[in-house]
Amino acid sequence: MAYRWVDHTAELELRLECGTQEAIFEDALQALADLLHDGTARDHVAFDVTLSATDRATLLAHWLDELVFRAETEDLVPEGIERLTLDERGLRARVRGHRGEPRHIVKGVTYHRLGLEETGDGRYRATVVLDV
Amino acid sequence: MSDTATEIGALRRIGEVVWEIPAEARTDMRVPARVFADRELLDEIAGDRSLEQLQNVATLPGICEAALAMPDVHQGYGFPVGGVAATEPPDGVVSPGGVGYDINCGVRLLALPLTAAELGGRTERLVHEISRRVPAGAGRGGSLEMAGAAFDRVLTAGSSALLAERGIGNGKDVERTESSGCLPGADPAAVSERARRRGADQLGTLGSGNHFLEIQRVAEILDVAAATAFGLRAGQVTALIHSGSRGFGHQVCTDHVRLMDAALSRHRISLPDRQLACAPLSSPEGRGYLAAMAAAANFAFANRATLAHRVRESIARTLGPRTARETDQVYDVAHNVAKLERHHGRMLCVHRKGATRAFPPGAAEIPDAYRTVGQPVFIPGSMGTSSFVLAGREGAMELSFGTTCHGAGRRMSRTSARRRITGAELRRRLEAQGIVVRCPSNRGLAEEAPFAYKEVERVVAIVERAGLAARVARLVPLGVVKG
Repeated sequence: MAYRWVDHTAELELRLECGTQEAIFEDALQALADLLHDGTARDHVAFDVTLSATDRATLLAHWLDELVFRAETEDLVPEGIERLTLDERGLRARVRGHRGEPRHIVKGVTYHRLGLEETGDGRYRATVVLDV
Repeated sequence: MSDTATEIGALRRIGEVVWEIPAEARTDMRVPARVFADRELLDEIAGDRSLEQLQNVATLPGICEAALAMPDVHQGYGFPVGGVAATEPPDGVVSPGGVGYDINCGVRLLALPLTAAELGGRTERLVHEISRRVPAGAGRGGSLEMAGAAFDRVLTAGSSALLAERGIGNGKDVERTESSGCLPGADPAAVSERARRRGADQLGTLGSGNHFLEIQRVAEILDVAAATAFGLRAGQVTALIHSGSRGFGHQVCTDHVRLMDAALSRHRISLPDRQLACAPLSSPEGRGYLAAMAAAANFAFANRATLAHRVRESIARTLGPRTARETDQVYDVAHNVAKLERHHGRMLCVHRKGATRAFPPGAAEIPDAYRTVGQPVFIPGSMGTSSFVLAGREGAMELSFGTTCHGAGRRMSRTSARRRITGAELRRRLEAQGIVVRCPSNRGLAEEAPFAYKEVERVVAIVERAGLAARVARLVPLGVVKG
């Protein structure tokens, strides 16, 4: 996985570095999946997500926020991505996961230090801070 | 550096335990950034981004006098946790990030009519019964499901609506709650459908993270007159409830940070941190947030009222109905909220992000029974350590917009805490101290290890030396239920 959690006194800071923007979004889901995972893998489901935002960093925050919302209101624990498209309109994805008992640990996906940028060597780097 | 140092880095000492970064330190600061701390706490505070974040707060349009940090301050997102900012209407701003995602997270203290000696070997039964009745972590079974007009009445009227709708709590509970358990101006129409969906089945749930419900013993009375007014005596059993507005409030914050972030350029506001997104108090965005935030605050008051009801049910089952009937609410305080209050002759919007209102004796806003001793304030320590009951003091009105600290304050990340101890080992250590522990998650338990927090005694000593609040009683844990 191309993500890591960076020490933050009270919250969780997620750092990602990937070869494509799509991989940033996919690995962000994996990071969240590890955080929310309930230790079960039953009642497999897939669901669609469509989002738009003014820029890619904001879209990344909205992506994680949508997954947190689905986990808390529909007990959907994300596991991975079946397909994901990023274009000028935003994001369309089909997420696979299961219905379980996801941890209600994330209060919010903040805009604090939020970023998604090219590193200069064709790779992408992103930072998201979660309120937990 | 000596204890008499007058400058540390950009900080200069302006009082015995008050330090200031002048407004001139950065071109974008409108007011100074001020910290209540001693040298040792300052060293910890300087170890993360708290001071940078406090300086960012000092850039908010319409901020008055100074951006303040309580001694339990630590790095957050946007505002530091332990941050206080007062802004002046109509052009001063309100910032959802200055309240946080857990709107009206707060603490409620109940006093039981018996001593720890009288409780004796029944502690474990009581704690176990509470853990069965109070949904914690992701748990929702046992939550109070409300919908439609009844739910809206809770959003509008808070604790008193819950009493009227479901007979939860009593009139004395409502009176002994900050703002009588209802922030005015709440508008259910300002709340999104997503917030309703998140909150629909979460009324009466504890949540996870640092939320807890603790059974305690009054270990020490430090101010007999105030303790007597609060109904506290040495040896008495108390129950401390720490929770907030759950997913409902989290979503209200999310929605309004987005709205304000999108409106920043229209309001010609430039910020050093996007999470400080804000709008003038008089603007549609500002008014919309205040109406939704008040609804979430009222949800939180109702949440803690429901949790207190579950505690009384547990007491009735394990200790008898009379003991439950005679269990009194001491008070309920918010520590994540923005409120319109009069200070220094002006009506201001006081943001408290991890900070507690602490009005002094004589304040009209506190219940008659406490008017001569000051508003009760509860400062939970870390798990397994002491908590404190304080009373507000006049210094808070002079120095901190009627505010004091809210807890011990984290000093170590959750990851670092987990590296140092396992949940199972911490559970063993707490049980070895005679503390009954009910927590479904070993990971969650380890993240809240006592060493991850500052010493609450030191934090409380600072607010007392600064004259913001005074110690009334020290409480020690007998049992804890964690999310």
